[in-house]
Amino acid sequence: MSRVLVAMSGGVDSSVAAALLVDAGHEVVGVTMKTFCYSGTPAHSKTCCGLDGIMDAKRVADALGIPHYVFDVEEDFTRDVIDDFVSEYAQGRTPNPCVNCNSNTKFKDLLTRGRALGCDQIASGHYVRVEHAPEGSSLLRGLDPDKDQSYFLWAMPRSLLPKLLFPVGELTKSAVRAHARDLALITADKPESQEICFVPSGNYRDLLEKRLSPVHPALQPGPIVRRNGEVVGEHSGYASFTVGQRKGLRGGFPEPMFVLQIRPHTREVVVGNRDELFEDVVDIGGLNWLAEPPTVGDRVNAQLRYRAAAVPAVVTRIDESLTLELAEPQLAVSPGQSAVLFDDRERVLGGGRIVSASTRALV
Amino acid sequence: MQPVYLDYAATTPMRSEVREAMDPYLSDTFGNPSSRHRWGRKASAALEHARAVAAEALGAQPREIFFTRGGTESDNLAVLGRCRAISLEDGLPTLAISAVEHHAVYDTARWAEERGELRLVVLAVDTEGSIDLDPLRVALNDGPTVVSVMWVNNETGLFLPVPEIATLVEELGGTLHTDAVQAIGKVPVSTKHSGIRLLSATAHKIYGPRGTGLLFVREGTDVAPLLYGGGQEGALRPGTEDVAGAVGFATALRLAVEEQAEESVRLGALRDAFEDRVLAQIEGVRINAGAARRSPSISSLGIDRAEGELLLNALDLEGVATSGGSACASGSNAASHVISALFGPDDAKATVRFSFGRHSSEADVSRAVAVLADVVGRVRELEGVS
Repeated sequence: MSRVLVAMSGGVDSSVAAALLVDAGHEVVGVTMKTFCYSGTPAHSKTCCGLDGIMDAKRVADALGIPHYVFDVEEDFTRDVIDDFVSEYAQGRTPNPCVNCNSNTKFKDLLTRGRALGCDQIASGHYVRVEHAPEGSSLLRGLDPDKDQSYFLWAMPRSLLPKLLFPVGELTKSAVRAHARDLALITADKPESQEICFVPSGNYRDLLEKRLSPVHPALQPGPIVRRNGEVVGEHSGYASFTVGQRKGLRGGFPEPMFVLQIRPHTREVVVGNRDELFEDVVDIGGLNWLAEPPTVGDRVNAQLRYRAAAVPAVVTRIDESLTLELAEPQLAVSPGQSAVLFDDRERVLGGGRIVSASTRALV
Repeated sequence: MQPVYLDYAATTPMRSEVREAMDPYLSDTFGNPSSRHRWGRKASAALEHARAVAAEALGAQPREIFFTRGGTESDNLAVLGRCRAISLEDGLPTLAISAVEHHAVYDTARWAEERGELRLVVLAVDTEGSIDLDPLRVALNDGPTVVSVMWVNNETGLFLPVPEIATLVEELGGTLHTDAVQAIGKVPVSTKHSGIRLLSATAHKIYGPRGTGLLFVREGTDVAPLLYGGGQEGALRPGTEDVAGAVGFATALRLAVEEQAEESVRLGALRDAFEDRVLAQIEGVRINAGAARRSPSISSLGIDRAEGELLLNALDLEGVATSGGSACASGSNAASHVISALFGPDDAKATVRFSFGRHSSEADVSRAVAVLADVVGRVRELEGVS
């Protein structure tokens, strides 16, 4: 059997992934990627990793009888994930840092370092499936619809697919936990991680204030306007807003108001009522394909947010970027979020970042 | 295949003589040496016997040996304790350390300097093991000075000229501490030079138990304790004594000193064979401090075009256990202060330390060289790709 490198975060999913690979007879090497230090001070650099799950991963690896190493990817992670996150908010968009991290930092690094460790294949605890066929490998949604993580993996290079194994993608979360309990793994009942890992407080504004200049426009007050240009209030920096957001807009409106658009050049946050939030034409840039790219007229299913259902759509234009017309208008299509395209059998075709959205009536 | 342990500078397996010597004090003879009853008297006698054995092995008086809980503690006690004793009497002391000291001295010194406890002078060291003595002379002439220079560097095996420095320090009237943790059993170590006033040693590097060290304190040298709470170890290191640890350490120390001459020749031959083959089979490798006088048990390699952490992981996967620089700093990608001090801050080579010991054999050397050649090739291929 081959030597497999498995990325172990210290959570239950990757613990079980490693256990399943051991069961299958692979020679398994566990690795935890040290992405950043929570405290940020060198004096704490050894203890902070405990929070990161490194110690849990080590204990699980020991219980499974496999070696475990730490890959320090802090520099790459800071550049590719945190800097990008900050820059996207600074430009009035809503980033998906987990897409960058999973697609690029993690798997690319695992593959190159794995090769040096003599590993032929790379595995993780993501809830996705990969199908290896003679004509090529495909990425598919995980079998558990509540846990599917294919939304985060569209941006990886297609050439990685043949090297990947996702043992828990074939299972439901409850089956994974049950298996972990059967094996008495210490991570069996560990809670899910939900927050963005480098914003443990959940307040990303603090991070932006730390990493952007205090005079950056994204952090300066600006006008809250209606689509027609009418000024209806003032905000304390557009970086605190996301399309679709209701919270944080000061009251005094006769009906609930939502953020429709952010205009970084004028620092305007455009608001409107719920009806104005629906859009059905979406432009997507920064494309990446994990299958043959679609052509104009193709029908696809587009997922526009993590945990949102995919909607049927038609590709109406494609070159460096593409345009989709959605069968049903969608609420709060946010520039910066990923748009992931699937075929009818839940195979990931590829995706991109949402550049803008509009409604057909206005096209 | 059986994995090969070539990390004796990190720690060593306990030898059977040591385990046997310790055994009674882990079971029947368990008393507290401070107790007046027979259990206590037995324990106290064993402790004092151990002190005498350790003293003899180092050419010291038993009353000059203070058991501690390890090398790091001995280093801290020597450096901070001596500086604090001076500042009580004579004002702010200067601490002069070599640039290649172990973290137990290096970090302690920096911390104390930041807190305003002392003035710190760091003495440059070159790859020949020569140390810049001019700033040391200035400091010694200026006022009360504590000097801390290790006997053998833990990362490279480099010898530092401790006797020469001892003479200078004695002439100009300072206190010399030497960290002899990596030197004992590898080179002749003695406290006989009267310029050496403080010396640190630890048991687990010489096939003794983890968690027992000692500090030699020459009579008449005032050291302030770091801990308070009892009169044990002359109140310099209070706390109920680890009798078994002291007995084990004394046994290990006696054996290490007895066997040193012969074992050093054997280890030196293994190390030379290893290095000859590495240089013949793998291009782009530097033997760190290779031309200098150094410990026969350590071979520190500087490897071009390779990432250190990955190299160590790959070696481990193929069954060869080593460290980068020192085992203590592994897990961090930061360049070691020792390699930076010797080769400049821009030295981009990956450091791998092979260290040999009692159970190392010719076969281990062959295996290590073959695996290293293979792994270096793989890691370098990757550098080309990315």
